[in-house]
This record gives sequence, structure tokens and C-alpha cells, in this order.
Amino acid sequence: MREVIAAIFMIAGLVIFLVSILGIFRFKYVLNRMHAAALGDTLGLGFVIIGLIILGINVFASLKLFLIILFFWMSGPIATHSIAKVEILTNKNFEERVREK
Amino acid sequence: MNEKKTFWKHLQAWVDGEEVILDADKYIVSRPKREKSDWRSHFTMEYVKEHRKLYMFLSIAISVLFIGIMLGVVNGLPEFGNPHNPANNEVMERYLESGIEETGATNFVAGMILDYRAFDTFAEANVLFLAVMCAVILLKKDSKNYCAQEEQEKYEDNIFDEREKKPILQMGGKVLAPLVILYGIYVILNGHLSPGGGFSGGSIIGAGLILYASAYGQKKMRTFFTFRTFTAISVGCLLTYCACKTYSFFTGANHVGFAIPKGTPGDILSGGFILPLNICVGLIVACTMYGFFALFTKGDI
Repeated sequence: MREVIAAIFMIAGLVIFLVSILGIFRFKYVLNRMHAAALGDTLGLGFVIIGLIILGINVFASLKLFLIILFFWMSGPIATHSIAKVEILTNKNFEERVREK
Repeated sequence: MNEKKTFWKHLQAWVDGEEVILDADKYIVSRPKREKSDWRSHFTMEYVKEHRKLYMFLSIAISVLFIGIMLGVVNGLPEFGNPHNPANNEVMERYLESGIEETGATNFVAGMILDYRAFDTFAEANVLFLAVMCAVILLKKDSKNYCAQEEQEKYEDNIFDEREKKPILQMGGKVLAPLVILYGIYVILNGHLSPGGGFSGGSIIGAGLILYASAYGQKKMRTFFTFRTFTAISVGCLLTYCACKTYSFFTGANHVGFAIPKGTPGDILSGGFILPLNICVGLIVACTMYGFFALFTKGDI
């Protein structure tokens, strides 16, 4: 039973990774692509690691995996935020910013 | 005295301290210019276009030649997976069988790169140091390669940086940078016990420093990391490494007569020189990483 639940979580995470990779290659504008990339880094990785925690060997392995989630959920959004801020501050091309041209 | 002299008279004049050519500046200006024969000017675009077929043939011929050489070498390689290949020799067996006993490190890779082949690692650390020194020569801003306009631009950039509020990045840097640096220190100190070591741990510490610098700006970074500390740490670590390995070198490869205590394999204080050498390499790598970041963003450490 535990394996099945873990497998469901991990497959969900992998599907989200697939969607995020598709998004990176399909979208044209920086902010859209960044949204797709950040999706994989946070939600996809979160699902995969929750699956691993359910499968977990012992308590300490689970705690370490939880720390990995914590680290990624802090660092990923902060990095995304910084890149987005630079893009908004420096890109003067209104057409590209608003209408994605 | 403009006429040509013999070599002997030339030498005599030079030894006596005479000026060999009187009015050398005028002579250099007035002397006939040498014909520049640049072979590259022969191959203009028109020339290449006229002889397109020749070039096509030549490129194909050269490619085929190189492909032939490569395939010949591949043909001469030993069969994959053969137990009698030259790679499976007694060196590997020696490392795996008596590595723990001889180096005192449970991590075989650390024992290999910092004990059996420590000179190789020393040269690698030197390469990193040389690379960052070249970047310093080319990019560091000082009074000699720096005009007033650039100074003005830098001043304006600094004002912009100081006024810009980045609360999210600063909060993240405050929480994450110490953890990242702590993890890097753990990786370095456990280099002889678990996977990791100087190079990986040093790059983790460098990443932590870069995170802190990008969150809080270079001015705050200067309170504990200036160019002086950068040079002191790099040079000091290289010299310490050099001294340790010189000691090993002069007392014989196995520290004959003057053994460094190896400790029990698995303890944190074990492995002879591996732990201090790991620390040296880690500090050098961390300094190099941060140095590259600082030089390429602001042109100053």
C-alpha cells in the first residue's frame, strides 16, 4: 500500500516536471518561461520528495529529505523573484512585455 | 656612426658603455621601413570565392584524413571489459587493498588525490590561483586603467544599488547563506571520511559567499572579505600545501622515520595530512569562486 501511494506521488511529480520542460521550450517570453521553470523546481520536486519520504528507510533519511524540500522552496522562488525583478526593471520594450511580441 | 659595424666592434662599444647608435631616436624615425609580408593578406574573400572548389576538396580531404586517424586509433584500443586491459593493473589493486592502511582515509578518492597523487592536486590548486590572478590583472579597476567617465558610471551604479530595496533576497540570504556555508564546511571537514572534499566543499562555500554578496552588496562584504584577505588566504593556503607536501617529499614517500600519526580510520582527526590539505584546497576554491564573481560584476574584490 505504501509503495503504491509513494509511486502515485512520484509519478505526479514527474508529470509536473514534463509539463515544466514543455513550457520552457514552448513559451517565448522570459517571465512565462520562468513560471514554467519554477513550477518544476517547487511543485514537481516537492511531489517527488514527498513520495520518497513515504517510501523512507528511517526517520533521519526522511528528515534530510524534508530539509531538501525546505531548501528548494526557499531558494527557488527567491531566485525566480530576482530574475523577474531584473527583467521588469531593465526591459524597456513595452510590446514584448505586455503582448509577448 | 650610423654605418654598420662588425659584431665585435659592436660588442666592444656595448661593454665600454658607449651609445651604440648615436641619436637613436632620429635613426629609428628615419630608417627605411621594413616591408610587411603578411601571409594572411593573400587570402582575401575574393580569392577564397574564386577557388571554392579547391577549398571544398581540401576541407573534405582533411576531414576524411582526421576521421581515418581517429578510426585507426579506435581500432587499436583494447577490447571493452577485458580483464587484461592496461587500465586494470596493480596500481588499482594497491589503492583498493592497502589504501586505508597507508593513507588513513576511508574515502579512497581523497586518499588518492591528496596522498598518493598530492602533487597533481597541488598543480590543480595552482591553476585555479593563476586563473583568478589573470582575471585580477585584466579586470581589477585601479587608478591606471580607469577613466573619469567609468568612475562616474560606477558611482551612479553604487547609488542605484544602495537605494534598491530587496527585502525578499535579503531575508533569503540571511537565512540561507550561513546554512550553505556551514554545509560547505561540513563537506570539507568530512572529505576523508565521506564523498566530498576540498573542491566540492570549496565551491559550496563560494556559492554561499556569492549569495550573501548579491543580497547585501559589496560594501557589506568588504567588512570581512577584502582584497587583502583574499590574497592572504590564497597565498597562505598554497604555501601551507607546499610546505606539507615538501615535508612528505623530503622524508620519503611514506614519511620514513618521521611519520605523521594516521589515527584510526573513520575518526574525524585521521588521515595524516589529508585533512589540512583538504582545508587548504577548499579555502582556495572558495576564494576563487567569489573572486570571479566579484571581478566580473564590479571589477573589484
